[in-house]
Amino acid sequence: MTLKGGTSQACAACKYQRRRCSAECPLSPYFPPEQPKLFQNAHKLFGVSNILKILKNLEPGQKNEAMRSIIYQANMRDKFPVYGCCWIICQLKYQILQAEEELHAVQAQLEMYRQHHHISSMQQPDDVTSQLELGMAPPSNGLSLFNHTTPPQNYNAMPAAALHMPQQQSYSNDSKGVYGYIDAKDINVANSFWVQQPNYANNNNNPMSIQSHELVVSQQQTIQQEVVQDYDELHPFFDTIDDRQSYIDSKEAYESSSEESLKDTTQSNEHIADNELKSAAARFSLTSVN
Amino acid sequence: MASSSYSNSPCAACKFLRRKCMPDCIFAPYFPPEEPQKFANVHKIFGASNVSKLLNEVLPHQREDAVNSLAYEAEARIKDPVYGCVGAISVLQRHVLRLQKELEATNADLMRYACNDMPTSTTSQYGRRNMGHEGAGSIGQSSGLYYSSPWNNEPYDQDSQERGGDGNI
Repeated sequence: MTLKGGTSQACAACKYQRRRCSAECPLSPYFPPEQPKLFQNAHKLFGVSNILKILKNLEPGQKNEAMRSIIYQANMRDKFPVYGCCWIICQLKYQILQAEEELHAVQAQLEMYRQHHHISSMQQPDDVTSQLELGMAPPSNGLSLFNHTTPPQNYNAMPAAALHMPQQQSYSNDSKGVYGYIDAKDINVANSFWVQQPNYANNNNNPMSIQSHELVVSQQQTIQQEVVQDYDELHPFFDTIDDRQSYIDSKEAYESSSEESLKDTTQSNEHIADNELKSAAARFSLTSVN
Repeated sequence: MASSSYSNSPCAACKFLRRKCMPDCIFAPYFPPEEPQKFANVHKIFGASNVSKLLNEVLPHQREDAVNSLAYEAEARIKDPVYGCVGAISVLQRHVLRLQKELEATNADLMRYACNDMPTSTTSQYGRRNMGHEGAGSIGQSSGLYYSSPWNNEPYDQDSQERGGDGNI
């Protein structure tokens, strides 16, 4: 708000009403001439006489605030001709409802974390598997599972207990045979990289390509047909392997746990690298299922 | 609304203004004679002339809402001549700010727990959640719809005493 000088331009109210703006003009402090819209809005909703009537009954210290609220109310009526300030009130109430809902949700999550943290600090490390089964985030001791210094027995115990899939270990071993060079922390980068590597995709981990190769094998070699069918039944588990790649840990742990299947897989990879895809698929399915 | 008494007695506006209530009276559908105070308030604060102009500017199906909002604003201004209904807005704005501050603090707590447990995935999840406050339609301090009253600029810890009655809408 700019105070108007006695000899300067008339305030917006006086200008609008085409009258002389005296030094005692009660509206000049609130309606500067450079903002005629402020006065137009207030005049349209309240009218000058009603504004003056409101101001007349107030203490001098209250007039500033009263004029601020009158101008705000008039501006809102100009913006929202039907609802005026009620529109703002409705929006604020809605905002409060939303914020309260979100706050309750966050508080509930925080409470869950606190309880979880409390429970996990009381429990032994081998309880991590049961928490993983429930789909809960692993507590602080679960982080050690992603560490390369983890003893191999912890790593071996996890997939079998948490995933409840007998085949999981052999498949994860196959995946590990390919992913061996990938650090577990960079697994997301590895996944995006994986898509861009057609050679790797065709070799082992793209289920569709393996399936198509095996169909060729099954047509030509009827002896292996049953094995191929078994493999097809297991086929969907590849999807779950992708989701659980983060559980696949260090190369040392893997090598100590399943040397036999690693050898088979490595052998398969070599064959595939030599473009012997048909026999590779047959070998792969035999070793994987068995 | 006033349909039953429309033909018999004049509407509250025409009764108040002591004039004949014509069939095309713009006030009659919204100011029934049973609610004389409604028109008296609106007339005292805004004036019948301004109200009729405002009603003529909105579509007929919006006029009832417009009248009701004007009646609410007029009643609030009579109860609180200094702030009127803007006092309620100010109270609600403070409530929103307090909730947002509490939400930020709770989110920060949650982030601490989440970071301790899941260093990558959980952190990003709640980071997004935190960004959702300034969504469309929210009346933030930068939106131009915000009423900056002196007490809204006070620290949150000191404004525990709310102005009585302003929040009753």
